[in-house]
Amino acid sequence: MKTTANEPLPAVTGFDEAMAGVRAECDGGGPFGVKYMRREEFAGVLTGEYVDHGDPPWRWYLMKDLYVKPDHYPWDSVWCMQGNLFVVGEKKGS
Amino acid sequence: MAKNPLHTQLCDMLGIEFPIIAFTHCKDVVEAVVNAGGFAVLGEAMHTPDEIAADIKWIRNKVGDKPFGIDLVLPASVPPTGDLDELRKKIPQEQMDFWLDMKKRHNIPEPKGKIDLHQWGGLNKEIARRQLDVLLDERVPVICSGLGNPEFILKDAHERGIKVFGLVGKARQAKKEAEAGVDAIIAQGYDAAGHTGPIGTLSIVPECVAVANGTPIIAAGGITTGAHLAASLCLGAVGVWTGTLWLASREGDNDMIIKDRLIKSTADDTVYSDCISGFPMRVLDCTWTKEWRQENAPKVLPAPYQMLLSSDYIQAANDHRREDLMTEAAGQGVRFIESMKPARQIVFDMVEEALGVFERITGLEAF
Repeated sequence: MKTTANEPLPAVTGFDEAMAGVRAECDGGGPFGVKYMRREEFAGVLTGEYVDHGDPPWRWYLMKDLYVKPDHYPWDSVWCMQGNLFVVGEKKGS
Repeated sequence: MAKNPLHTQLCDMLGIEFPIIAFTHCKDVVEAVVNAGGFAVLGEAMHTPDEIAADIKWIRNKVGDKPFGIDLVLPASVPPTGDLDELRKKIPQEQMDFWLDMKKRHNIPEPKGKIDLHQWGGLNKEIARRQLDVLLDERVPVICSGLGNPEFILKDAHERGIKVFGLVGKARQAKKEAEAGVDAIIAQGYDAAGHTGPIGTLSIVPECVAVANGTPIIAAGGITTGAHLAASLCLGAVGVWTGTLWLASREGDNDMIIKDRLIKSTADDTVYSDCISGFPMRVLDCTWTKEWRQENAPKVLPAPYQMLLSSDYIQAANDHRREDLMTEAAGQGVRFIESMKPARQIVFDMVEEALGVFERITGLEAF
């Protein structure tokens, strides 16, 4: 399904019980400025919340309780692309 | 007669003559390299969908049916919020004062226009999704994902006859993308220009080859010569991904001041510093990087604050063409850029040198 630049991009939010409380690492990063990119690493606990953008769905999971993040990363959570997530352990508390 | 060592799996996959990929932001370089028998990828991360469609049309008019690629930087992580104006207000006074003092001491003028670096894409995954839709609609021959795993578009891309490459900085990401079914993986080493991972090219290439289960690996990071090409093939790569090499080419659209600096620079003139963006990145040393190395310099701010601080400097340097201030991302192979050659010549020189290396090592004629 395609949209024009002025239409809101289809986004479906949801909750994935299987991923809630799972410890994971994210080989993250994104664009920087007009022509560069940056790499950054995160590790924390997935909340289970997700959002799918577009069709086919591009899934992102919310990670909190970050115990690895870039120095002085100013936020307490990060959205991680599913394809760059690596589950590293048991569910927190299990 | 020996087999041509430069005719690799990548050549067969793309129908190209030489396993050399030029990564560039300049359409003229794409045209020259593709028409010389190599392959070229245009970086379009911060272009609008309409601009991307127009560029694809332009390239097709210049290269006909020959294949080319478009690179997008799919974000792999995004912060929960990101209003640029709000972020600017949070820059601490100590770092702001340091910048204002530097500005005065070096007589750094105000930027002439809008700040390019403020077009910061990292906050918005919706933009990347729209860009991807254009590439699928246009059936661009190759889509390269500069960061995020492109697995979610593989089915749609392959149904349209589009090949998908992923650029990685770690072997585990290569394994994951190979298992997803990407057509090739670019393994980028620490030697590269810009923001890189911590693993050197010499290590990450064979590491990715080992885990990719036959998915072709392309070497990236510090590659500027035919010897680098030959070495990359010996490491198990099927080709090379080159960026800095084209910045000083005759077709390249960089400022002549930057081209001249690249030609004069060696690896020692590049610095791996976080003072521009808050993330470590390799650039040509300049007044800004030197100032932030001083003992009295305040602590570098985290991203995105440091970038918001450096963006005024970079824009002023470029707008006013101040040689003492300007910088550019450059890889450690910059030493071997010795003149402003046509891109076509760069391709042929690289090929000739690589063949010479194989002949010297094997004692056999390559053709």
